[in-house]
Amino acid sequence: MSALGHYLEEEGIATVAVVLIRPQAENTKPPRALWVPFELGRPFGPPNHPVFQKRVVVAALGMLVEGDGPVRIIDFPDDDPRARADPVWQPPFMPAAIASSSAESLASRLEAEILLLEGVHRRWMEQHGRSTVGLSGLAIGDCARYVADWLRGKAPPSPRDGFSAPLILRFAVDDLKAYCLEAAGSGSGKPSSPQLTDWFWNETATGAAIRVLREVLQTHEDERLRLIVSNFMVPAARMRAG
Amino acid sequence: MTRLTDLPPDQAKRLAEVECPEFKTRPWVTGPALSQRRVAIVSSAGLVLRGQDPFRGRDPHYHAIPATTRLSDLLCSHISINFDRTGLQEDWNVAFPIDRLRELAVEGTIGSMADTHYSFMGATDPLQMEPHARELAGRLRQDKVDSVLLAPV
Repeated sequence: MSALGHYLEEEGIATVAVVLIRPQAENTKPPRALWVPFELGRPFGPPNHPVFQKRVVVAALGMLVEGDGPVRIIDFPDDDPRARADPVWQPPFMPAAIASSSAESLASRLEAEILLLEGVHRRWMEQHGRSTVGLSGLAIGDCARYVADWLRGKAPPSPRDGFSAPLILRFAVDDLKAYCLEAAGSGSGKPSSPQLTDWFWNETATGAAIRVLREVLQTHEDERLRLIVSNFMVPAARMRAG
Repeated sequence: MTRLTDLPPDQAKRLAEVECPEFKTRPWVTGPALSQRRVAIVSSAGLVLRGQDPFRGRDPHYHAIPATTRLSDLLCSHISINFDRTGLQEDWNVAFPIDRLRELAVEGTIGSMADTHYSFMGATDPLQMEPHARELAGRLRQDKVDSVLLAPV
């Protein structure tokens, strides 16, 4: 972001960068930067809080006409009011047979879980009118089957022209995560992101399947596949359950 | 949440020590009052429109996002998995504050909002983005944009 600000400003366009990693802005020295103390992924604050979001935007845009520079980096003063866990929120009901059974293979449990979440995700769509699922271009059931087949030891070809199998696997995993997390957010309460992701990585078959898939495919002969599963499926903080 | 001290130590160290380009110039463009500015958002979230080719890794180019885009047609194809996506799943404005910018234009806080916004994929080497950013400046000028809000993720 800070480098983009430099290039655009050299071309005569005024810029202000909102930044989440203050040391990076200090090193790149953009013309103007507003550091915000929010979680990565939420640079303008909590979802569905237009008043707070607008305060961040106005604080940033105000730097276009205030103060001397370059370089000017200031700190936004307030924390995200929705960073705290919501005790009201409950995750989707998952029957014990799905959540903890070891009788079925993890691949089958993944497919069953995605099917089970269909009704809950439909509620999300009714509430929000949209979904961020769609990078793979596959229906969600096909995403589940594709990932499950990799877990079963098959090496299914890419079902989409112009996309390699490793790339489709990455996007299918992204879609499954988004589907589950949207479903989990459709109930009552306003869950924090750790509440949602704790549930996903610790309590769902889909999270467990993605983690195991990463372990299994890390020794695959395809270098590109190894690179993708090692770096772009399981967040650093979620490499182990718990 | 989230200061670097809130992140796993390895991730915090990696983020803090990302190699940043060193620039020889220190540009500083000034302009009229905010109420006369025309503002565009340039995001680094790897945003694409549904049906478009997603960013594939560290592509240095950008995608255009017309201001008329329905938010249901936006997708995030950023390569990193180490940032929260649950916020933008619920409300795109946490990372792409187009509704807030539109409101500020209606209220007269800014002069107007650009017809088109843009997104890069932020994990790309900034030096590879440079020619695309300079070309983008031309498109912004054609849209009479004089100010840009750079939105990270």
